[in-house]
Amino acid sequence: MTGMRAMRASPESVIGGFSIELPSVTRERCTLTTAVPLQLVGISKSFGSVQALRPMTQTIEGGEMLALLGPSGCGKTTTLRIIAGFETPDRGSVVIGTRDVTELPPNKRGLGMVFQSYSLFPHMTVGENVAFGLKMQGVSAAERTTRVREMLALVRLAQHEDRQIHQLSGGQQQRIALARALVTNPSTLLLDEPLGALDKNLRERMQFELREIQQRLGITSILVTHDQEEALTMSHRVAVMSEGQVVQVGRPTDIYERPRNRFVAEFLGTANIVGGTVTGQTSERCWQVALTGEPGASTSVQSDVPLAAGSAILLAVRPERIEIGPVVAGTMRAQVQDVVFRGSYFAYELRAPGQDVPFFVHSQSRKDIPPDGMVGLGWRPDNAIILEDTP
Amino acid sequence: MTAAGLALPVRRRRRVRYGVIALAFYVLLFLGFIAAPIVSVVAVSFSTASFIAFPIPGFTLRWYWRIIEYKPFVDALIVSGEVAVLSTIFGTLLGVPAALALARSRATAAAIVSNFLLAPVTVPAIVLGLSLLYFLSSLSLGISFTALLIAHTVAGIPYIVRTVLSVYRAIPPDLEEAAAILGASRWQTLVHTTLPLVRPGVFAGGLFAILTSLDNLPLSFFFGSAKTNTLPVVMLSYMENQFDPSIAAVSTVQMLIAIVVLLIADRVYGIEKLTS
Amino acid sequence: MTAGSPLADIDGKARRSRPYRLAGPSWIIPVLLFLGFFFVIPLGANILRSLQSGQATTNGPLFYYVKLLTDAYYGGVIVETLKVAAISTVLCLIVGYPVAYFMVRFAGRWNAVIVFLLIAPLLTSIIMRTFGWRVLLARRGLLTTQLFEWGLIPRPLNLADEPFAVYLGLVHVLAPFMILSITAVLQKVDVRLEESARVLGASALGTFFRITLPLSLDGIATGCILVFVVTCGSFLTMLLLGGGKITTLSLLIYQQFNVTQDVGFAAAMGNTLLFIGLICLALQARFLRRTGVKS
Repeated sequence: MTGMRAMRASPESVIGGFSIELPSVTRERCTLTTAVPLQLVGISKSFGSVQALRPMTQTIEGGEMLALLGPSGCGKTTTLRIIAGFETPDRGSVVIGTRDVTELPPNKRGLGMVFQSYSLFPHMTVGENVAFGLKMQGVSAAERTTRVREMLALVRLAQHEDRQIHQLSGGQQQRIALARALVTNPSTLLLDEPLGALDKNLRERMQFELREIQQRLGITSILVTHDQEEALTMSHRVAVMSEGQVVQVGRPTDIYERPRNRFVAEFLGTANIVGGTVTGQTSERCWQVALTGEPGASTSVQSDVPLAAGSAILLAVRPERIEIGPVVAGTMRAQVQDVVFRGSYFAYELRAPGQDVPFFVHSQSRKDIPPDGMVGLGWRPDNAIILEDTP
Repeated sequence: MTAAGLALPVRRRRRVRYGVIALAFYVLLFLGFIAAPIVSVVAVSFSTASFIAFPIPGFTLRWYWRIIEYKPFVDALIVSGEVAVLSTIFGTLLGVPAALALARSRATAAAIVSNFLLAPVTVPAIVLGLSLLYFLSSLSLGISFTALLIAHTVAGIPYIVRTVLSVYRAIPPDLEEAAAILGASRWQTLVHTTLPLVRPGVFAGGLFAILTSLDNLPLSFFFGSAKTNTLPVVMLSYMENQFDPSIAAVSTVQMLIAIVVLLIADRVYGIEKLTS
Repeated sequence: MTAGSPLADIDGKARRSRPYRLAGPSWIIPVLLFLGFFFVIPLGANILRSLQSGQATTNGPLFYYVKLLTDAYYGGVIVETLKVAAISTVLCLIVGYPVAYFMVRFAGRWNAVIVFLLIAPLLTSIIMRTFGWRVLLARRGLLTTQLFEWGLIPRPLNLADEPFAVYLGLVHVLAPFMILSITAVLQKVDVRLEESARVLGASALGTFFRITLPLSLDGIATGCILVFVVTCGSFLTMLLLGGGKITTLSLLIYQQFNVTQDVGFAAAMGNTLLFIGLICLALQARFLRRTGVKS
């Protein structure tokens, strides 16, 4: 594995024991495949009376990895299966490059797929598994051997060619599944929760490895996952889905720093939600908001869009953006319930009067807490995210 | 807890031990009971006496030679073998595709059809034989090898369908989807992925169908003729007329054939995989 | 950062839903045709024949069935069939349950060996096994000579043509099926349930009757119905070991087949047998459904 590559990570992710924020990644043009864009045009799907997917239109650029992120039942797996061809949408089209593939069976779409349980053929060796797609394409035995060996070298399992599948560890099986998917030079790579079965350390390593391979080959990819860290680490863009529709699409930083609504804010990392009423405008982009649940406490928010005085709004603040300090009149205060050391930061759990759910604050250093446990909470105005939900 | 209280559990445990030993003894006796008739037949097949007598007066192989001399035995053995193998092959060709189509369907019709395919095993063979004889006679197929074959195929289908259904249901559908994504057409997926994985079920069911067919008297009885007698039918009529240890010899030979078939299946396939 | 693009409301082209499946429904057709033609129709024709041929045309369609049920001899045969089946079922249960219990609770690694020994007889023909009982029970048979030597019988008797021999033969063939049906269910009865009963003060026998037995009822029911149905349909054992003293319905069919020209009557006998079997199956389905078990 080559050294540090520029990578996207949520501020919570740990590299070397401290949080770092890295500049966004640059997409590489590949040398092996021409990057082919994928378009979903108005696809929707119902199963019986359940609408699994509402009309969805997305374009995935050539060479880009888009993550479909959401809880189970949100429609992400349905979308993937429609792209793969295992389900036909009720309406809409799937276009790969310039070809409308919606009516084509899965074996004619030129895709590669890594399944959640790897789906390696148990009755074949590693080499036979990886060679399967080439064999179906009618590639000669000699060429098959060469390409299989190349691909096994890419995933660093060259010496395992003649092993049986059950002899491999989970991580190795995962890499074989990837090699098998890529050896046929597919136009698009589909990943269905590929890292779910691995343990934490292995998962983190594989996240980086998968990303590196995807970018080196420049292959258009779609990743389905319910793990927000995975989505943020590996992909160029994330589409957050809920109940059959895409709630928000954007780059990982954008989604994380500027979630549209409560669902997205809470799905990606911890979000402290607080409600308030707009009292007035203080400057060109700043408004004053009186916080509910605590008379007298107020905060300022920034907004490009004018806010109506007297309107109720919902704010979200990330745990790492909140500062704990002494109680200051006119600002929010809370009582410390618990503090946990998480290795790279301290996690404080606090209860604020008028709030029924606890607040979480992450701090690099240990804070001095007064005996009665009451502290003041503060954050920069531009770190308060205005959510679209009505409180 | 007093000392007396401590003593009780120990005593109870020892009593249970005796119970277990007694039970084990009983099981051993039972297994002996199961083995006894079979062992006696094998023993009698070597007896020099031409009627059943114990203790065995002397040792001889003449009853085994009798098998070869008595033409109906040899003919019937061949007919039995042919019918068993052919009916199982047909049963497989008919039953396996159906089992594959039904195994994963959640429609209620699928459950009904599955049960229907398993139904022939619940009909008393003698009733099935009777009905088929009359019916096939009206088609002028009457007493013929074809009729025998048809009857045994009908009887064998449930065994094959049952095992293939259960084996196929245990295979994750992902595997076939993976094959499809990799470019395999339906036929290629079937040949390279599904059938190799389903093979244990086909083998197990087929083995059962062959063994049942070899032993099926009630069905074969109705189609009996010089050319279409199966071994059980011939053995029975022999027993009703003459009663000498030839029967023992033929039975032993039949048992040996079944054992050989099982051993071949084990060598080719592995019994552990069949008993899954 | 777009929410869903403005194009999200596009309704795409309508399509016919076709999930990707390997084996289409058309694969079922050959076997359905085969069984329909060579299984359903013959049995159906059999029913018709019993209602429409021979004396049924002159004396009414149910003539043969009435005759079967009311005639002293034939009615007796039916009763005998049911009686023999019931007795053999009970015997198999009594003989087999302890073996099943031992296999599941105490056998450990010997379990596989015992299963093998129970299934191995299937490699031998039923004629061989029945013949084996003749060998053991004949006048100079192994068992008879032993019993004589031990002074249990006054003189060497032919025991092989008695009802006792028939039951011996039936239990010999069918007890393994009963045992395997019971073990399948008994394996799922948690040992800890029995242990807690013991801890709570129940005796070993009391635990068995109150806890183990009720929980293994499904296996008992499955095994009993299996043995009952198979016994109803079997005739070889009665033929070879009964000495003419036990006549069941299937034996009657076998004997009458070559003798009678009355196809309608033979058909009616067969249908009665079939009917008994179907009732048992229905009972099984009803019983298992009530106890909430999917067979």
